[in-house]
Amino acid sequence: MDHSARVYEDITQLLPDEENPSPIVRLNRLVPEGSQLWAKLEWMNPFGSVKDRAAWSMIRDLEKRGELGPSRPGRGIVEPTSGNTGLSLTALAGVRGYPMLAVVPSKVPEEKKVLLQAFGAKVEVVPDALCPLPGSEDGTIGLAKTHAKASADRWVMPNQYANPQNVEAHVRTTGPEIWRQTGGKVTHVFTSLGTCGTVMGLSKFLKGKNPSVKIVAVQPTPGHDVPGIRNVSELDVSQLFDPALVDEILEVDFELAYTVAVELARHEGLRAGPSSGLIFEGARRIARKGPVPFGVMIFCDDAFKYASNMLKHVPGLKAEP
Amino acid sequence: MADYAHPEVLVSTDWLKQNLKTPGVRIVEVDVDPKLYAAGHIPGAVGWDWTTQLNDQLRRDIVSKQEFEKLNSEAGIKNSDTVVIYGDSSNWFAAFGFWLYKIYGHKDVRLLNGGRAKWLNEEGAPLTTEIQKFSPSQYKVPSVDASIRAKVAEVLTASEKRAPLVDVRSPDEFTGKVIAPPGMSETAQRGGHVPGATSIPWSTAVTPENTFKSPDELRAIYLDQKRLDPKKATIAYCRIGERSSHTWFVLKYLLGFKDVKNYDGSWTEYGNLIGAPIEKP
Repeated sequence: MDHSARVYEDITQLLPDEENPSPIVRLNRLVPEGSQLWAKLEWMNPFGSVKDRAAWSMIRDLEKRGELGPSRPGRGIVEPTSGNTGLSLTALAGVRGYPMLAVVPSKVPEEKKVLLQAFGAKVEVVPDALCPLPGSEDGTIGLAKTHAKASADRWVMPNQYANPQNVEAHVRTTGPEIWRQTGGKVTHVFTSLGTCGTVMGLSKFLKGKNPSVKIVAVQPTPGHDVPGIRNVSELDVSQLFDPALVDEILEVDFELAYTVAVELARHEGLRAGPSSGLIFEGARRIARKGPVPFGVMIFCDDAFKYASNMLKHVPGLKAEP
Repeated sequence: MADYAHPEVLVSTDWLKQNLKTPGVRIVEVDVDPKLYAAGHIPGAVGWDWTTQLNDQLRRDIVSKQEFEKLNSEAGIKNSDTVVIYGDSSNWFAAFGFWLYKIYGHKDVRLLNGGRAKWLNEEGAPLTTEIQKFSPSQYKVPSVDASIRAKVAEVLTASEKRAPLVDVRSPDEFTGKVIAPPGMSETAQRGGHVPGATSIPWSTAVTPENTFKSPDELRAIYLDQKRLDPKKATIAYCRIGERSSHTWFVLKYLLGFKDVKNYDGSWTEYGNLIGAPIEKP
């Protein structure tokens, strides 16, 4: 595939891989002296987030196994999602001709719920767990699983929380991209935890290349309002997480996710979403303690889907200025 | 290992798999989120909405005896049936349904241990969207047992006498840091807890699989650590009475407390009451 002219026959050809990586951009104004921090701009992927990778990988795997496609006419995809996986799956389902049902928690920002519908998904909203049992599969996972079990002829659930393709996608694409883009010089990777596909895949690939690469996960304080990412205390929903593959887990006050994202937009020209703000804050703290020779931060998505949340969490922003 | 005090009120998922078609066994699903039943339920189960079918629609109260009879009759449930209840959130509202059945004197009602989440993840545990039709029955409430329900006056007295009160809400609700979990429509004017209440969050009683902890584990928590006494009259409360139904079930049927009541008015009544004493650390 020749990417030089940027001419494509099909949107799926734009999906990232080593030959067509999402860009990495160096931060120049907000980084403590003596360190290099680079942002990997996952919002440059065709459907706007890091989740394009897992979504594509899971769909292709379901097709390969005959769970989706001509042998299962009329069968669509049901998935519990805080939005980004849903958006990627919905766009890809549209391209491949599958119906899509996204089950989202109520705290997902309005923008994502509207976009999911605009892209063609049926959306079911589940009230947020009000006093949840840690690890319990209620809420979005419970409802999506119920559809997949009770109506197996209509729906298959990729299940990003347990699907090895969610890790494989990063072993196959994000990891090799970073290795090539940094000329093998990467020393630190900063990412968040959600389904944990990104952090596990990157750790597996990059530590295989160089065991001294540090994998740092940045998590919001418990009880946070940052869609798509989790505090370790909320991680039992993910069956992919292996703590041995992470060198350090750093906790950052979740409100900073939003205010630091704004800082990134104002000083670095990066339209970062809240999880990117959180990850940068974590990376910056590590860099203040000692030099980070070549740090790569996974900037999962951009700010556009979070305007309503930013209004809540960034002082001084007004809907009617 | 000792057994629960009343093991007959619990059924396992395996038991239910084998009794899906047993005459005289009826299944009822009650969820926090009623969407779940429509998306898929255990074959033969009827689904009840706790907001519209288990509560009175005019005044704040549980359904009346007549309404309860109508509900069961329309579902074709007979007085002689074994009713198995299950639901989401580790059986919160299923436990509330169980408590209602006990108030209205049903002989054989049981909870599905592990609830909907356990069933969902098991092999050979079918789910369907089909709603089975049953011919109506003539369900009659034989007697009303008000002794398992606490009203606010009893709670105030218990607090004054420092009789055992169990607050099963989350720690942040107990301390008054939050009045209700975010986004809840049922709330109160004030935060905190009933003076003298012991904080034992409902989830203390369950395993990650949603099943109840073993009798020994439960005894260690409720009796040894939290110093509750099975011989003393005890009242459990939460925010609207469903999480406390769960703990009420644990105390009464798994640990064998002689006199335990569910205060279904809970914090949404107490925290709105003019002049009620509140403790807020």
